[in-house]
Amino acid sequence: MPWGAKGRWALLAALFISAAHAQVEERMAAQLRSCAGCHGADGNSVTTGAPSLAAQPKIFLENYLVLSREGLRGPPVMQALLKGVPDKEIVALSMHYSGLKATANIDPVDKKLFQRGKDIASKNRCSSCHESTFRGREQMPRLAGQREEFLAEVMLAYRQNRRPGGDTIMAASLYGIPETDFKAMAHYFSRLK
Amino acid sequence: MKKSVFVLAAASVLTLSIQAALAQDKAAAPPPAWQQGRPAALADSKLAPNAGKNTETPASEIPIDKLKLPKGFKAEIWATGMVGGRAMAFSDSGKKIYVGTRGIGRVYEVTDAGDKRTVRVVVDKLTQPSGVAFQGGSLYVMAIDKVLRYDGIEANPAVQPVDLTAKFNLPKEQHHNWKYLAFGPDKKLYVPFGGPCNICEPPSKEYAQLRRYNADGSGMEVIATGIRNTQGFDWHPKTGEIWFTDHGRDWLGDNGPEDELNRIDKAGNFYGFPYCHAKGIPDPDIKKKDACKDVTLPVTTMGPHAAVMGVKFYTGDMFPKDYQGAMFIARKGSWNRSKKFGYDVVSVRPSADGKSAKISPFLTGFMDPKENTFWGRPAYIAQMKDGSLLVSDEQLGAIYRISYGAPKK
Repeated sequence: MPWGAKGRWALLAALFISAAHAQVEERMAAQLRSCAGCHGADGNSVTTGAPSLAAQPKIFLENYLVLSREGLRGPPVMQALLKGVPDKEIVALSMHYSGLKATANIDPVDKKLFQRGKDIASKNRCSSCHESTFRGREQMPRLAGQREEFLAEVMLAYRQNRRPGGDTIMAASLYGIPETDFKAMAHYFSRLK
Repeated sequence: MKKSVFVLAAASVLTLSIQAALAQDKAAAPPPAWQQGRPAALADSKLAPNAGKNTETPASEIPIDKLKLPKGFKAEIWATGMVGGRAMAFSDSGKKIYVGTRGIGRVYEVTDAGDKRTVRVVVDKLTQPSGVAFQGGSLYVMAIDKVLRYDGIEANPAVQPVDLTAKFNLPKEQHHNWKYLAFGPDKKLYVPFGGPCNICEPPSKEYAQLRRYNADGSGMEVIATGIRNTQGFDWHPKTGEIWFTDHGRDWLGDNGPEDELNRIDKAGNFYGFPYCHAKGIPDPDIKKKDACKDVTLPVTTMGPHAAVMGVKFYTGDMFPKDYQGAMFIARKGSWNRSKKFGYDVVSVRPSADGKSAKISPFLTGFMDPKENTFWGRPAYIAQMKDGSLLVSDEQLGAIYRISYGAPKK
């Protein structure tokens, strides 16, 4: 991690240089509290259907949060929370979550399913963009340690063109892959550190 | 809101989408379009599309001084704040310019007040509304799955759109089916339908072609076929022929097949996709005997993975005489290539017979070849009434103005 928690807060605060400095900081804290409701105080989600945000690439988070604010991505509750949030606050939130540490998934591993997922991911060359560690880079999200049910649903949503806002290349990458394969890959990715 | 509400909402959304998903899961499926054609030699390649930017970039963060132009030309920042802005269409009065986008789903209206510009969002929440065109007082917007017309929008900014989607019979696949739109001299609307993959035999005949429609969506005709992904075209001011750019396929290595600049000298031409690329390269994956037979080859190739975008014939009188009859072409820049290529605007001068063309650098400096990095991606060109050019930068959501004044002696 490049900075400690204190250093990050200092940087975040620095991004909010304005007359109402304290007010902005208070707003940011309130935003983080509402994010924590689903995504965990440390960005590691324990909520079904809500993804972990910790250690996601900053550009991915920025792009996603903007799309959600625009009403293109994510559940209505996310869209409502982000409505009207300005770009610079989205950048600050993204910087915050990208700097948090992802905790390891301690759910049990189904060895057979894990291996199957690994093989399918390898065949489909997922690591080409998401890195061999599956920790993501730039606009391409971290998959390692992400919630299993979330990953499976997102892959399906991409394939069914229910995830607008990104390049269609992700949907094209999942073209024709059956849902059972998504589930296997989701199991595999979710158990990686 | 309380936590329990969040959890409930998230869980119910998930359940609903899973149900919807199960119902749709039976569709027949060709191989994954993206990795198709990727050879074993490139199995470990880390090449991936460049990240776009969804947040606004203020003028103060745009390194405009890095741009380079031929002597006497000048670049300035003309408008900012159009996140993801690409194709531009002038209103009839020329005082407003409409700008389409892909990911962020918006269409912008930029109003030119002479010394400054104001920007507003005309429509949002669309799936890649990259196609914008203006004719007879109406703005036409085309997303992958929607066609909207805004009548009299210059006088009435709040006008509600007429939904023309059903008239245009848009196909199902989305990849390479975001649009570039333009009205021709015949007042018809020209619309491309890309091949829905990197390389494949398209799943049906609706893809990999250029069509034209009457403005109301009636009278559809297929003008040309075998076009992988054209994102820009213009009409030659003298011959009236369409010149269009086309993106070459990926995953055949750093050096090709190169992007293309094509000319439609007669309706019905076949431009080769998926069997034949560039100046006659048979595809190694989608094989056909005599793959390049009866293929209309490009006037010129435009460089490997260059991502050739907008084409604009210069008809103004601001620039020096040798730009008359030349066209400007934006190359948004490569991703499927280890050393970056493009990220510039070139001037292209066709020969008198239209069978060849000479490419010269025009606007450069978006890319740092030593560091193999870029900061901007020029996408489209529009010509202002005074003969200056506007160039959109999709990466930074900005428009730059290029003007000319005789160099001081």
